[in-house]
Amino acid sequence: MYYHGAMYQHDGEDVFVIDAHVHLWDASEENITHDGGEQFIQCFYDYHTTFTPDDRQWDMDEYRKYGQERMVEDLFGNAAADMAIFQPTYLTDFYDEGFNTTEQNAELALEYPERFVLNGTFDPRDGEEGLEYLEELHDTYDIQGVKLYTAEWRGESKGWRLDDEEAFEFLEKCADLGIENVHPHKGPTIRPLNRDAFDVKDVDDAASSFPELNFVVEHVGLPRLDDFCWIAAQEPNVYGGLAVAAPFAQNRPGKFSEILSELLWWLGEDRVLFGSDYAIWNPDWLVETVMEAELTEEHRAEYGVEWDLETKKKVMGENAAELYDIDVEEKKRQFREDEISQQFDLTDHYGEPAAADD
Amino acid sequence: MTDARDTDEAIDRRADAPTRERVREALDDVTDPELDRSIVELEYVDAIEIDDERVTVAFTLPTAWCSPAFAWMMAVDARDGIEALPGVTEARVILREHMHDEEINRGVNERLSFEEAFPDADGGVDAVRAELDEKARIARQYDAVEELLEAGLEPAQIAALRVADVEPADETGDVAAVYLRDRALAVTVPMEPIESYLEKAEATGVVSTPDDALFRTPEGEPIDPESFDLVHRRGRLATVNMSGQGGICDGLREARQQRLAVDD
Repeated sequence: MYYHGAMYQHDGEDVFVIDAHVHLWDASEENITHDGGEQFIQCFYDYHTTFTPDDRQWDMDEYRKYGQERMVEDLFGNAAADMAIFQPTYLTDFYDEGFNTTEQNAELALEYPERFVLNGTFDPRDGEEGLEYLEELHDTYDIQGVKLYTAEWRGESKGWRLDDEEAFEFLEKCADLGIENVHPHKGPTIRPLNRDAFDVKDVDDAASSFPELNFVVEHVGLPRLDDFCWIAAQEPNVYGGLAVAAPFAQNRPGKFSEILSELLWWLGEDRVLFGSDYAIWNPDWLVETVMEAELTEEHRAEYGVEWDLETKKKVMGENAAELYDIDVEEKKRQFREDEISQQFDLTDHYGEPAAADD
Repeated sequence: MTDARDTDEAIDRRADAPTRERVREALDDVTDPELDRSIVELEYVDAIEIDDERVTVAFTLPTAWCSPAFAWMMAVDARDGIEALPGVTEARVILREHMHDEEINRGVNERLSFEEAFPDADGGVDAVRAELDEKARIARQYDAVEELLEAGLEPAQIAALRVADVEPADETGDVAAVYLRDRALAVTVPMEPIESYLEKAEATGVVSTPDDALFRTPEGEPIDPESFDLVHRRGRLATVNMSGQGGICDGLREARQQRLAVDD
């Protein structure tokens, strides 16, 4: 590997990695107020152990609450990622202070604003107050994206849909505020949440009604990859977030090859975004695993797609940079001497100023 | 005379008595509805007990939080499949280590409806089953069509096939004759993928009469030859979705077994 002293390189070329799906959560026992909170973190842990190499698995205590320092080290310490996007998951019915809120994420994001993108959220069931909260998040943190959890419990309600009339009001608000990136979680059922509330079909109507917004469907709809791809094929503003699919590369490489081939065939290389889902999986091994993954000869022939350097650069970073207006070259210059590069001795990693290009 | 007749009946009863093999065969036809694979093949079945005319089956799913609706469907299908065997008067199922095992076991064994067993659920299982059956139908169509493409049929010929164009080619029923050009020509292919497709196509109601177009779009319409490739791609996608989810389930099941082994 080329870690330490060199940005992740592939065939000698730099690949700038934006991990588009990370969390800073607190599932400590003190913070859990509902059985659902314990079930939720246990279920996360099962996903963690299932798709993490044995020697990289965490124990349950460190998994419950890992803290800011560890997170910074996991993401940037060996330069697995260059930047990361926080995707909040509130779950305030289960966790006293929330599981992974924008405010919790902000503590770290504001310490290293050059390294993190901070996303907000909304819940249409909050009505007028919710709209105000969204505006407040925008005003306070200048958020450019929202993570949405349609299966979140709220009192008697076990979820909501993106094509609800109320949800449209919030999407309208996003459009007004210039919050362009909408990340609905559409993935595996997480105990104890209801499976049907992660149904992907509501994205269709929302995406065609708000062409000015980008809908990044997190977890590519698994286990509804078929519905997701079909919708994405028709809606140019629908993207796929690879979180959950990515770690297949580790112990289900054939399946990873197949799923990635489908995504590249239906969506193209410009609409797929890498995400680790940290701390479910850790970019400190996952980035390398995904970068080293190969499409099988059979799949390359069948789908006519490639997981080559150009595609990797887009999926691992450039596509997210495009959505979040990140100037990658400017970032590389900035990272030559930012705090994180100094802390982890990565200053060489971002190279000398390319004098010849100036 | 009387004695002899009693003995004959006893022999008949023994011949009809359920065996583990027959029970397993009945369970072969029970699928995990999300993966469209047999619960036997998926190793969900832990134990089969036969007590004269009563059969008890125990099974465990990959996780404790597998959808209760899916668990319910598998339990009901196992119960009904076994009870359809000659010589079985009652089948009981025991779902183990599931967050809703009590409700499911009680509901299925006391013959309640899903709504009765889960008063809080926000919908019955019928709609879920119909949707998953439709996905299974699309995936099975892909496999059947692949077989026909391999045998040299043209997309337009495949799109034009009617149900009546496929017949068993011989007495074994293992080979299908597919008739083309107003029956002027027949091509033979393995029957299994086509039969398996037809089973779901009939269950989902997309085909019902011999004159119906055999293959359909995911929406259930006959296929316009122009869009054949796209429809076939969507079928492929349905198989990838199922096997991808199968990968998640397999992984979770392995992790769970390791954990249970450690706990022991």
